[in-house]
This record gives sequence, C-alpha cells and structure tokens, in this order.
Amino acid sequence: MSDYSFDEWYVVRLARTITDREVVFHGFGSPCAQVAMYVAKRTHAPDMMLIEGAMYAINPDPPFIPPTSNDSSLKRGAAYSMRFEEFFDAAIRGDVDRMFLSGGQLDPYGNTNVTAVGPLERPKVKLGGGGGGCNISATIQRLTLWTTRHRSGRTLVAECDFITDIGHRTPAGNRADLGYTGGGPQWLVTELGVFDYDDDGRMRLRELWPDVTVEQVRDATGFELSVADDVCEVVPPSAAELAVVRTIDPLGVRRSEFDPLELARRFELVPAPAG
Amino acid sequence: MYLSPDKRVDLATAVSHVRDGSMVALGGGLSARLPMAIVRELIRQGRRDLHVVGSAHSMDVDLLVAAGAVAVCEESYVGFEQDLGLAPAYRRAAESGTITLKESCCVTILTQLRAAEMGLPFLPVRGIKGTDMRRLHPEYAETTCPFTGEVLVAVPPLIPDFAVIHAPMGDMFGNLFLEQPYVLDERFAGASTAVIATVDQIVSTDTLVERGVTIPGYFVQAVVEVPFGAHPASSYPNYAYDRPHMAQYVKAASKPETAEAYLAEWVLLPGGEDEYRAKVGPESFARVSSWSESIDQWKGLFE
Repeated sequence: MSDYSFDEWYVVRLARTITDREVVFHGFGSPCAQVAMYVAKRTHAPDMMLIEGAMYAINPDPPFIPPTSNDSSLKRGAAYSMRFEEFFDAAIRGDVDRMFLSGGQLDPYGNTNVTAVGPLERPKVKLGGGGGGCNISATIQRLTLWTTRHRSGRTLVAECDFITDIGHRTPAGNRADLGYTGGGPQWLVTELGVFDYDDDGRMRLRELWPDVTVEQVRDATGFELSVADDVCEVVPPSAAELAVVRTIDPLGVRRSEFDPLELARRFELVPAPAG
Repeated sequence: MYLSPDKRVDLATAVSHVRDGSMVALGGGLSARLPMAIVRELIRQGRRDLHVVGSAHSMDVDLLVAAGAVAVCEESYVGFEQDLGLAPAYRRAAESGTITLKESCCVTILTQLRAAEMGLPFLPVRGIKGTDMRRLHPEYAETTCPFTGEVLVAVPPLIPDFAVIHAPMGDMFGNLFLEQPYVLDERFAGASTAVIATVDQIVSTDTLVERGVTIPGYFVQAVVEVPFGAHPASSYPNYAYDRPHMAQYVKAASKPETAEAYLAEWVLLPGGEDEYRAKVGPESFARVSSWSESIDQWKGLFE
C-alpha cells in the first residue's frame, strides 16, 4: 500500500465530515457516500448509527458494496432494519443528524438540482430525480454535499434550473423564514476542493487537493469563488482508512462516480510519524 | 376488501383488470422486487396512458415508457443508479415532452398514501416550501396549523387504482410474504383500490404463516404464480438481480430502434412469460439463484 488513488482519498475525506455518535444516512445510488460511512464507522466514529440508503438497515456489516443500493448484501449483520416509514418519519421529525446529498447542479447556497437541466417542459437533460431528498433536506440536522463533476464547469452554477433539495436559502427565503429546523449544508466535497458555508450560507473554499490550484477551482465554478483566509491542503488518508476502503468496496463501485481523468490521480502514502 | 377464498388466476386475466388511463403503483424499488412479469403483460395487452406512481424505480418504469404505455410519471426517481446511469427511455420521453412529469418525493408520496389509508381529504407535510417541487404539483396547497399557526404544505390523498406487487411467496387467498425492504408496498396495498400480485411460488397458508404475512390477502384482488416474475430484478431470498440483463436493457433502450428490438425480443412474445423464461434460460436463473452459496459467489454476480 505504497500509493493510493484519488477515489480512495476522496471517500476518506467524505468520511471525515462525519462525527462520532451521529445518526447518518446516504441516499441510494451514492457509492462514494456509502463507502465513506463505513470508513467512518470502522475508524473514527465507531458509535455512529449507520443507516443504509435503500435497505434502511442499521449498522450492517456487508461483505461487499454491490452496484445497486437495494441488495440484501447491504443488510447482512444488521440486528434491525427500519421500515421505509420508520426512516422517513425519523428524518422528517429531525432525528437524523447527517445526510449525504449530491446533484447535477449545485448553487452557492447548497441548493441542489437532481430533477432536470434546462426548461422543465422540455429539459436538456432529465436527471433521475431526488428520491426522498426534497422533504428531508429541510429537517435533517446537517448535510454533507458532494460532487465528483466540479471540473466540468457545469455543476457548480449560479442558479439551479430547478431546486429539488433545499440548501441555506432560496428565492423564497432562508431556513428560518421557511420554518425549517435542519441546519442545511455543512460541507461540500468535490474532486477539486473542500468547502464550508459562511454565515450568509454561501460556500467557501477551505481545503485543496495537492494537485489542484485555486485558479482551477475558480475556473470551474460558475459564480464568484469565496476563499477562506486559511486554505490548506486536505489531510492525507491513514493506512487504516485506506484499508477500510479496500475491504468494504472490493468491486470498486465508488469508482463509477468518477471520470477516468480523476481515477488516474495517484498519491504517495506518507507513513505517520512515530509517536 | 377482497374476500374470495381463491384469488388464483392466470397472468393475462389478472392484468386485464388494469385499464387504459389507470393509476398504477409499482411495488418494490430500484433493482429489487419490481413487478416485471406484470409490466411485460401490461405491454403485451397494449395498455396506454398509465399514470405510474412509486418511490425509486428503474427498469419497470423505463420499459413501460419505452413501450409507450405511460402518460404521467409520479415517481421519486427513475434510473439505474451510478452503475448503469440515467433511464434511457424515460429520459428521452421526458426531454421530448411525450410524458407528463409529476416527479415527487418519498415523504410526500408516503404522506399522500397515509391520507388515502385513513380516508382523509389531505395531510400536511414538512418541506417542499422553498423548492421548485410545486411547479410539478399544482394540486398541492398550503394549510395553517390551528394550534401553532405554522404554515405547511397540504397534499391530497393518493389512491392508485391498482398496486402491482411481486412477492417471493404467497397463498391462494393473496396473503403475501415479503423480505425487507418492503419499500412502499404495504402502504400501496392499503391505499390502492386493488392489489394485483405475482409470486414466485404459491404455498399453503400454513407454510406462508411460518414465514410471516407482510401484506394481508384482503387487499388482494388477484394472485398469480409466476416463477422468476421479478426478473431481471431480484426477489430475495430466491434470487439476486440479473445485472448483465439490466445492462443489456439499458444499452438497448438508449436508442428508439434498439428499444423496439428489445421489446420484440423479450416482451411481445406470443407465449408470454413461459416463452420469456425459456429465452432467459435455466443457466441465467441458476446463476441469480446461486447468491447464497458463498460470499464469493454472491459478489461474483456483480463483477
């Protein structure tokens, strides 16, 4: 394990947005978020409650990540699986601490579009749809957003063509105006950098991958990029975190989220200093 | 309530209850327990203008759309996840305006089904405000809580004409055993006017009761034994999903001509499901049924 690939580091960084003793959910068809949850559970967040995205299994121990979210392998080892209703009731009443959300478009306030690019009546691209995200993005305590398509220049946009899932504010108002109890997006992790959200709810660059420049991030972002004063490099993954990635995802399902260009990015593993 | 002591009929008879324009709730979700035999029979019977409702679905909706059977789509998601990508026929129909999009959200659909089950004219639901979802749903309204003054979105009951559900096991009365996740199937059964079910195997009520009854037979109008009736979706504990076949479908559906060819080859068969099973062949069925032999065998199905 002398080097590792970008997709491995990426899911480790996603995992580090989870804190211990959180109730955490990933949506279906989200292998990067899914793998990240197992990395967190098996390293720094052993007491998190991991809810599988389409099985609603609690803390399962799957033998591998399959290419579909609705497969029995993903409830192996779980003492209990919630019903669909139990999960969504918990999420809508505010008992779920964190959810991972992505989209074909994301705006500066963390609103996401998973419905349609272009006019709704005749979309340029009909996306798959949001599953449960629309309602529960309002009530889940914290959101980790992610995309692996920042570099395309078409993903981080000034305005979403359609707001499926709610971020910090929309033209209708902010979360307080709308009466929403969830805290909204806390982190955005892209293949170019890591972002948080400032007091006005706008995204702000906080961390860069070592092979990416601020200029590259700016060029790929469809609105004025806010950069924190203390931007730093993303902390490299540990051998233990990388080992979990490889154990839980032997089929490499997470890699389906990346362009070949990103999968070719490789990094040297630097051993942790002794003591 | 459906109280006939024996609801067993053939597939064509069961599916013939569905009419052009019916609202049809599709059971299962993503790659699991999709009512594919019923979907194929709906296409063989030439149904049109269906209004399909459900949570996160894939090939069931896409195949119906490819066959021109759908007018309105009210699902929360239609696609093949990251693995096989966007749903080709659904995408083409949505982008050309040949289907009406009423894309919805899991909590909203669940709330509407609960209103139907409780016989209520509406229920309030959290969220939606601030998003664009109401552009797709002019039927939603707002309501003010009489106790707190909070303004919430109000949604009407959703009462499908039919819930079409595949189960691994059932009895002649229509009692059904499902493995989790049940997804919305229990709510569909309670909210719909009738359930039409296929099962991999019909067993005695005693045998079924040992496994547990998930959906009671009094909701079920017709039950049909169709072995591998969810194929190429999974029907655990009997079989995993047939990923190569789904991949073959997604490739075929990417163009109208090849989608037509898929329908001709796999759906519009004079011999119906018997001919479909003969075409899929015992080797493919043995393969998807072998998931329980070992972890390596199971994993190998998805490589």
